Amino acid sequence: MLASLRDGGRSLGLNWGLVVLVLVTNLALALVVAVPLAFQLEAELENRGASSAMMYGFDYDWWSQWSERQQGPETALGPELLGTGFALKNLELLLKGWLPAGLFARGADRPPVDPLILALGVVYLVLQAFLTGGIISVFRRPRGGWTLRGLVHGCGFYLGRMFRLSLLALAAAGIVFAANAPFARFVDGLAREAVSGRTALVLTLGRHALLLVALLLVHMVFSHARVLMVREERLSALLATVSSLGLCARRLLPAFGQYLVLAAVAAALIAVFALADSWLTVIGYRSQLVALVLFEAFVAARIALRLWLLASQLELQRALAPRP
Amino acid sequence: MRPRTQGLLLAALLSVALALESAQAKGPGHEPLPLPPPAGKDAPGLPPLPEVSPRNASYTIEVLFDPEKRTITGSLVLDWRNTSDQALASFPFHLYWNAFRNNLSTSARGVGRRAPADRMKDERSFGWTEVKSVRRLGEVEEDLTPTLSYLNEDGNTDDRTVMQVRSSAPVAPGASARFRIEWESRIPHGSVGRAGWVHDYHFIVQWFPKIGVFWQGQWNCHPFYTWTEFFSDFGVYDVKLTLPRGFVVGATGRLESKAENPDGSESYRFVQEDVHDFAWTASRRFLERRARFDEAGYPAVEIRLLLQPEHAHLGDRYLEAAKIALRTYGTWSAPYPYPQITVVDPAWGSGSGGMEYPTLFTGGASVLAPPELQSPEGVTIHEAGHQFWYGLVANNEFEEAWLDEGFNSYMTSKAADRSLGPEAWGRRYFGADYGRGARAGWPFVAPGVRISRGSESLPGLRQGGEADVMAKKGWTYRDGGSYGLNSYGKPALVLQTLEGLLGEETMVKLLRTYARRFRFAHPTTEDFLATVDEVTGGGWRSYFNETFFSGDLCDYAVEVKSEPVRQPAGFLPGPDGTPAYREAPRRGRAKDDRRDERFETRVTILRHGEVRLPVELRVEFEDGRVANERWNGRDRWYRFQYEGQKAVRAVVDPGRKIAIDVNPSNNEWIANERPARRAATKWAARYLFWLQNLLELHTVVG
Repeated sequence: MLASLRDGGRSLGLNWGLVVLVLVTNLALALVVAVPLAFQLEAELENRGASSAMMYGFDYDWWSQWSERQQGPETALGPELLGTGFALKNLELLLKGWLPAGLFARGADRPPVDPLILALGVVYLVLQAFLTGGIISVFRRPRGGWTLRGLVHGCGFYLGRMFRLSLLALAAAGIVFAANAPFARFVDGLAREAVSGRTALVLTLGRHALLLVALLLVHMVFSHARVLMVREERLSALLATVSSLGLCARRLLPAFGQYLVLAAVAAALIAVFALADSWLTVIGYRSQLVALVLFEAFVAARIALRLWLLASQLELQRALAPRP
Repeated sequence: MRPRTQGLLLAALLSVALALESAQAKGPGHEPLPLPPPAGKDAPGLPPLPEVSPRNASYTIEVLFDPEKRTITGSLVLDWRNTSDQALASFPFHLYWNAFRNNLSTSARGVGRRAPADRMKDERSFGWTEVKSVRRLGEVEEDLTPTLSYLNEDGNTDDRTVMQVRSSAPVAPGASARFRIEWESRIPHGSVGRAGWVHDYHFIVQWFPKIGVFWQGQWNCHPFYTWTEFFSDFGVYDVKLTLPRGFVVGATGRLESKAENPDGSESYRFVQEDVHDFAWTASRRFLERRARFDEAGYPAVEIRLLLQPEHAHLGDRYLEAAKIALRTYGTWSAPYPYPQITVVDPAWGSGSGGMEYPTLFTGGASVLAPPELQSPEGVTIHEAGHQFWYGLVANNEFEEAWLDEGFNSYMTSKAADRSLGPEAWGRRYFGADYGRGARAGWPFVAPGVRISRGSESLPGLRQGGEADVMAKKGWTYRDGGSYGLNSYGKPALVLQTLEGLLGEETMVKLLRTYARRFRFAHPTTEDFLATVDEVTGGGWRSYFNETFFSGDLCDYAVEVKSEPVRQPAGFLPGPDGTPAYREAPRRGRAKDDRRDERFETRVTILRHGEVRLPVELRVEFEDGRVANERWNGRDRWYRFQYEGQKAVRAVVDPGRKIAIDVNPSNNEWIANERPARRAATKWAARYLFWLQNLLELHTVVG
């Protein structure tokens, strides 16, 4: 398992430009909403005393009355984005079934984030489905190296298969959420009846953790299926999924072990980010630039982790493949 | 695993732990602001402090508690004195637990905690009180049971929360009567109301037949409405509780005796003088902590804390918060007169948190409790603070809830702000809010975000403040939210504004006068307003007309226009007096020219809301000059004009005295546009970062 991670890391290192490419797509989509927000904030804060407070820190009074008046994607701007709050907020959206597009959410009157943001998420998902085939085919090459043209060709070549796999993955996630719903109600009922708040806390956090593990297991199967489809030039998404399921079941330890290692690295990343974020005092443009670099470095690291996983899964399959 | 890999993993784990620890939103420690010394019993310039209450409704109660059947079998003797000038022959009693009897009670028909949706889970969720007999004692005993009927002032004949009995012998003014009542109650389960049981935790409140208050010429004994509270007379409570061994018992008053009974049960006798209610709790799981509040100028108080085991780490915080309340409220109103107070940390899921009873109250905590969120401190200060208003002044909470909740909320935020600093902003993830303090989930504290005193109530006031006049009977508000806003948040802001306008010293004198004069006296809003007139010399009635007795909102804003002073141009008198054309001079580009340029500045204060208050204005100019103005705030706008250097800043209400201004962010204008641009890019970048992470997270499911 560790050898596959090492080799996958080496492969990623040879093709670090892929991380930049994916980062650019991610950034471009997010800017669609963030840029108008910047203009809107400037107009709302112009000549207001709150602009000073918001520049140096956070003006709760201004934000509370401003946010009451908002209807669109800007409603997501609030104190919960600070520090590590962004990670908790996003994880909660995931585990409540709001990603993608609220497909798996139940019982809510209205989405906790604006539909435009959810739509951007769908676009991003389609974009990643497009890119994944090409990326895996780059990792497949022993010496690395890629061109944009070659990458796009590879992406287009595998698009149909990746898209079918994505649909299957969504269906599988839907099954997980559907199965989770009665389980969650049961556990929440136990939590409500618990003798102590500590037991209730363990129960509620525990069932969320279980859901996350289940989603990661589904992700593992379909990620391996994607790798299989490219590595073995499979045509059937369903059969590739079945093969992947068999592979993951037989080699659960190394397959899921990769996830555990990457999760530990991700946790360390968040901790380092939190530390750096707490040290940084963001006021003027220079400090904002440093903050922006920190932000993009973090997102790039996250993307790198995902691509590292893909590359490592490819190396793991190679290592597990029967010798000719 | 190779040693090098092990070392890397260990280093990674340590760095995670250290980084998370360092990155927690820890603000600098807060130094409490100084307090004036408390006013003693005979403080000059203040009304004397009454030593005892009227004691016109005293109860001697014996009760047998059966935790298996969840029942209480009780017998009480009520010594009641007629303090009115009328002979009285009918006597109403509250039977509060009949609100939980079924879905037909008045409170069950409303929306809220006691409504059917909260309760109709199973049989154990319901509770009741059944009066077995009512007798009038004395030289001639009279069985009043046949006269028992239920009163329904709201027309709901299914409600049994008020019963009445009639005696053939009226009680003359000033005379006394003794009643014996025997009853049985079933304790409801869960968070149906504040009373109830979960597992072995029992919180027993509003549990015995309690006589109404003869007040303002008639009986005042309302049914238990969905969100109203209570009203009762002062007396001496002598209560004997018998229950199985193994329980830790907390109650109003001091423990007078504890006896082991031959049948294996235990009997506790609690006594407390000069209170108007009695509450008790019993659980096998309580951990007990004790502390003593003993500071110069205050009577000593023994603090007894009954903690849930999983909250043992919060014991010191609970105790310190109780001391903060005793210290601050004791200074700002009048010192707590009882020798003991019991703090109860409610059990998970009990719904009994955040509530006050004489000399006993409940807090509420979560296992994960970052200090910045001031929980359990905030609720502890608040509920301990109720001792001073609900407990000692004891207004009619049914009809004028704000005289207790509003006063207390005002003082809670003041005490917490002074002692702990501003509260941080936080929320919980991956949990659920089961109501009344039962919050699971992982807490998040937003770094660097602080909510200044009173600001937490402004959103509610903006959104719902116009729905109801603040001062109205508790059950007549549009809904529970309006009740909450007009009982807690709005009156607290009104008092905070009054403090800003009067000054701290006068406000403290006002509250001390009111608290001392009306201790044990059931005051009304008019009593408070009369005290305001007395202490301040009058002239504040219009303020209360605009705030207490209205649903109007207060919102002042400022606009500024600064333009170069107009240079004469056009046809102007020439040297010979005939019109001569003069061209407008070009504005100098040289720095010296701009520095010498004179500006005409117009600062307009706008009144967007309907509440009219005198306001202050501060205008700062480029050359350092400052202009301080006042306006009576009555018209829709008023303009101040200045000539000279450009204005760089204008603030209406610079001292934030008008806490009830629902939109403080439009109170300040600055000339500098750079902060707006920088703030916009700073927060858009933060938003961008969040969104980028959210987009990437989609790949987990796709």
